[in-house]
Amino acid sequence: MSFQPDLSVIVPFYNEEESIAAMHSAIVTAVEPLGITFEMVFVDDGSRDRTLEVATGVARRDERVRVVKFRRNYGQTPAMAAGIEQARGRVLVTMDGDLQNDPKDIEHFLAKINEGNDIVVGWRFNRQDKLITRKIPSRIANWLIGRVTGVPIRDNGCSLKAYRGALIKQIPLYSEMHRFIPAMASIAGPRIAEIKVRHHARQFGQSKYGLSRIYKVLLDLMVIKTVASFTARPLLWFSMLATPLALLGSLTLGWALWRWAATEAGMSLPVAGTGVLLLTSAFILFCGGVLGELIYHSGDVRDQDFSRLTGTVWSSKPHA
Amino acid sequence: MPELTEPVDLSVIIPVGNRLADPEDLCAEYRAGLDAIGRSYEMIFVIDGPHERFASALKEIAVGPHRVTVVSLTRPFGEATALMAGFEQATGRVIVTLPAYFQIDASELPKLVDALERCDLAVARRWPRAGGPFERLRRNAFHGLLKAVTGLRFRDLGCGARAFDRRVLEEIQLYGDQHRFLPVLADRKGFRVAEIDITQSPSDRHEGVYEPRVYARGFLDIFTVFFLVRFTKKPLRFFGMIGVSLFALGALLVTWLVVERLFFGQGLTQRPALLLSTLFVVLGLQLFAIGLLGELIIFTHARQVRDYQIDTVLSFRKDA
Repeated sequence: MSFQPDLSVIVPFYNEEESIAAMHSAIVTAVEPLGITFEMVFVDDGSRDRTLEVATGVARRDERVRVVKFRRNYGQTPAMAAGIEQARGRVLVTMDGDLQNDPKDIEHFLAKINEGNDIVVGWRFNRQDKLITRKIPSRIANWLIGRVTGVPIRDNGCSLKAYRGALIKQIPLYSEMHRFIPAMASIAGPRIAEIKVRHHARQFGQSKYGLSRIYKVLLDLMVIKTVASFTARPLLWFSMLATPLALLGSLTLGWALWRWAATEAGMSLPVAGTGVLLLTSAFILFCGGVLGELIYHSGDVRDQDFSRLTGTVWSSKPHA
Repeated sequence: MPELTEPVDLSVIIPVGNRLADPEDLCAEYRAGLDAIGRSYEMIFVIDGPHERFASALKEIAVGPHRVTVVSLTRPFGEATALMAGFEQATGRVIVTLPAYFQIDASELPKLVDALERCDLAVARRWPRAGGPFERLRRNAFHGLLKAVTGLRFRDLGCGARAFDRRVLEEIQLYGDQHRFLPVLADRKGFRVAEIDITQSPSDRHEGVYEPRVYARGFLDIFTVFFLVRFTKKPLRFFGMIGVSLFALGALLVTWLVVERLFFGQGLTQRPALLLSTLFVVLGLQLFAIGLLGELIIFTHARQVRDYQIDTVLSFRKDA
């Protein structure tokens, strides 16, 4: 990587032709005085209006802008993920393309990152949205997410977030994870800070992301948390599943054999069969664990990478 | 390695399985149709398996102003692999696949290729279509099932004539029997897919009934596509659902047996239901474990199985 700016600002746009130019000048006005090198990554999420055209025009005038074009509309997570993939900055800031976030806040995010945080999350403390349809469901969702992930964040839905680039690029982002990037990232053990941000009412266009499908997303999240916690030691996990079955199976089979040997009752087919079934099943689960080790070994998500990214090293200075 | 050859506009790939029409007639007809397009082209025959006589027959007719390539595979790998082998030799920006026997009226090939101005992949649909009522029923059942599974409406996936941008095959690795479902897979990747009516060739008449194997195969193919489309990103949703239901059923049965044993003195030794309920519990657990393994694969390989495709990245920066 030849060119690494200090900061990448990632903005996904979906049918936001009116907002792009305003967004661009707001970012430039906010970031230029900070005296750092920066780039802007605009992701066009398959818009059907003139978004791409306008964005290309902006990129032509300002070479700090790069435009990532999707072939069709994929949704917000893929747009964010593509932006993160293409961004080259040391720090990545993501924000919405609808001017509801204020680029003036970027300064505070950078300060927090420089204090040693890996992730800084915005909190829209004076949120300019409808109470019943947006605010209350989001309150409940945030509480649930906090419970599931153990990362209590007041406002997961706020797109304005800052990440240390090296860390976020290691986090697998897929499905509908954009609301939970901090929670996802928690598998790497990052330091997370939360700061208050300004939030404006929509100026142009329509709101595109209603709060729905929270149940599906929570299910995904639980899966991820489970998978993330056993990723590095599948054999152990599967063995833990297998052990009770193996114990129960041995007991059952043992009892059937004892009864057959010691009494006149003869062999009970249901009981002996149950014992054999339980033992076989335990063995297959164990094999699944071995398979899991193989998968982890061939994959490219390693606990080791996470530990290197978030850990710190201190050595004593030996004196003669 | 292909030699350094001059690139052409169209690369026509013709996978040859067990069935090959008279090579001379076939070539003459295809050449007439391709000449009518008025762009430079090459023909690539891929002979799938040891059919020496096909290869020698094709090499004889290779003379002409347009390059003819014959790729011979040592064993039958299947049409999808044959297509990929042909694609390795292709130099054109547009790829056209054609069947090795008469399916369509080749004089309408320009119509198929011209459709690429509006889409990325054009599938020929033989229309008006010959065939008896049984044949029509089979076709409708196949495509109806496909629509139920994928939500995509195609009417003639059995037709091998297709034209597409070479990026389609650069991004989709076909294997097994997926060549039939290339339009479905391309649609998932975000390419624009269109169906074009092409006159059916008078030689393409299939009366009567295929072997049962053919029908079974078609059904199994849809089954595969179903999994590819629905659950490759969320294996636990599928396996977990079945697994948990089986587990619950088994657990209920076991509880009932235990209650009967404890309170009604019904012995377990003579009850086959014990075996059945244990089987359910164990099977449920196994399925759940398979789902977990699936999630583990997705999680550790998330960067290879991205669920979005970047079309282009626009940058006007001079140095990068």
